[in-house]
Amino acid sequence: MNRGRVPWKPILRQLWLPALVFAILLVATAGNTSFYFPPLTEVLSTLWSELVHGGLVGDLLYSLRNIVSGLALATVVGVGAGLVIGEIRTLRLATAPLLDFARATPTVGFVPVIILTLGIGSGPKIFLIFLGSLWPILLNTVSGVQAISPAVHETARGYRIPWRLRLRRVILPGALPQILAGIRVSLSIAVVLMVVSEIYGSPVGLGNFILQSGSSFHVAETWAGTILIGILGYGLSVFLLLCEHRLLGWYHQRAPRARPSKPVTIEKSNGVVV
Amino acid sequence: MVKVRLLQLGALAAVLGLWALIAAIGVVSSTALPGPGSVASALWQLAGSGTFWQAVGDTLRGAVTGLVVAIAVGIPVGLVTGVYAAAEESSRLLMEILRSFPVIALLPVFLLVLGSTPGMKATVVFIACVFPVLLQAQYGARSVPPAVHETVRSYRIPRLLRFRRVVLPGAVPSIMTGLRLAATTSVLVSIGVEVLTTLPGIGHMIMESQQAGASARAYAYIFSAGAIGYSITLLAQFAEHRLLRWRPPVHTGGE
Repeated sequence: MNRGRVPWKPILRQLWLPALVFAILLVATAGNTSFYFPPLTEVLSTLWSELVHGGLVGDLLYSLRNIVSGLALATVVGVGAGLVIGEIRTLRLATAPLLDFARATPTVGFVPVIILTLGIGSGPKIFLIFLGSLWPILLNTVSGVQAISPAVHETARGYRIPWRLRLRRVILPGALPQILAGIRVSLSIAVVLMVVSEIYGSPVGLGNFILQSGSSFHVAETWAGTILIGILGYGLSVFLLLCEHRLLGWYHQRAPRARPSKPVTIEKSNGVVV
Repeated sequence: MVKVRLLQLGALAAVLGLWALIAAIGVVSSTALPGPGSVASALWQLAGSGTFWQAVGDTLRGAVTGLVVAIAVGIPVGLVTGVYAAAEESSRLLMEILRSFPVIALLPVFLLVLGSTPGMKATVVFIACVFPVLLQAQYGARSVPPAVHETVRSYRIPRLLRFRRVVLPGAVPSIMTGLRLAATTSVLVSIGVEVLTTLPGIGHMIMESQQAGASARAYAYIFSAGAIGYSITLLAQFAEHRLLRWRPPVHTGGE
């Protein structure tokens, strides 16, 4: 990251196509009388007026609160358990198939069960988001702990560094790149669960907004809400990337050769936005 | 090896025991969390019933249809955009935005436009799966070492041959990762759509069972979904090992 100088050229090279697509969409839908695809200008003005005058801000905040709470819980539990499992070899070997199975189970399946039994409040939704986000974070933490070179462990042990200090100063920073990659994967799962749980049963939230407007055929509102969900997801992922740059500045500044291995952003988990 | 298996069985037994304990004490109501025994017997009953296999078939049909189309579109587009830096750079931001878009949020719109049909389910699966495949193919095509590219250029190897013999084999490992991701995603999305609509499949059966108060059966369906997801992961790993025996293992994260 070179601060101060704005790298105009690459920015232009990356921006022309999205800008073009946006312009084409604007023009193509401009005189549109199709019921399902209202003009983009109309959708955007609907979005604006709903945000300013309608109750959409309340929906947005509700959804945001659920997703942040669920992810935060999953991070605390996932990193904590992951550090322990990663450190203790027996535990790691024993739990491997269980964890793989847990990760492979589609959490969306739990949505009806949880919401029908625990109600349509925000507690069950936070629990669902937590449940879905937990596994990528947990498994990434485990593999992050494993990726720390044995020499580092030996040194820490050789100097008899107390385990608490070792955890905080050696293991946690060492596993951090992987942990953050896991959180990013979890974010996409969390957004999906947020939307699904709100469409399935909720009096408020963005998912409820698009469902209601869709079933009452206010198509512009439905599109506006859908776009807002996209903005929310994208905004959160950009926020995570910024956090990552702050936290891992030391890591990205090291010469590539000095790195043990690049943290992998491409995961073998369901790290895909649905 | 035997010792590891024993350990794993022990862990499984411990988790099952804990689950049975929680269910027995009644911390959580039996409608929210039935005991392992009742879920197991529900599973046993389901395995012999036609409705269960029908539901599994419906879910897989939607998942596989969307996945196949996503692969057919994603790999070629990914390889081409990966080879030409300009294409990759211009499409990067667009891909970022599209990729991070939760496809399931398009469901109300799709319900309006396409209606509640199996085709709609397959479409949603396609959109969700095309990005992992495409991005991984792109990433794989970019990972061909520059020296190889130079060689190909100086020998004036025709473009098509280059794609088939250089870029594609070089990109296979990362494409495999993309396929594995997409395969798991396809089942997940398929079930997600079924949960939210009236389309038949595992997701719909979970909902129906739970609404009928048969939570053990709902859990049995969830576990069968987990089993499908888990088998996909195992199959994909096996295929990767078989296909990639000719090259050193690549690091794709978490392995």
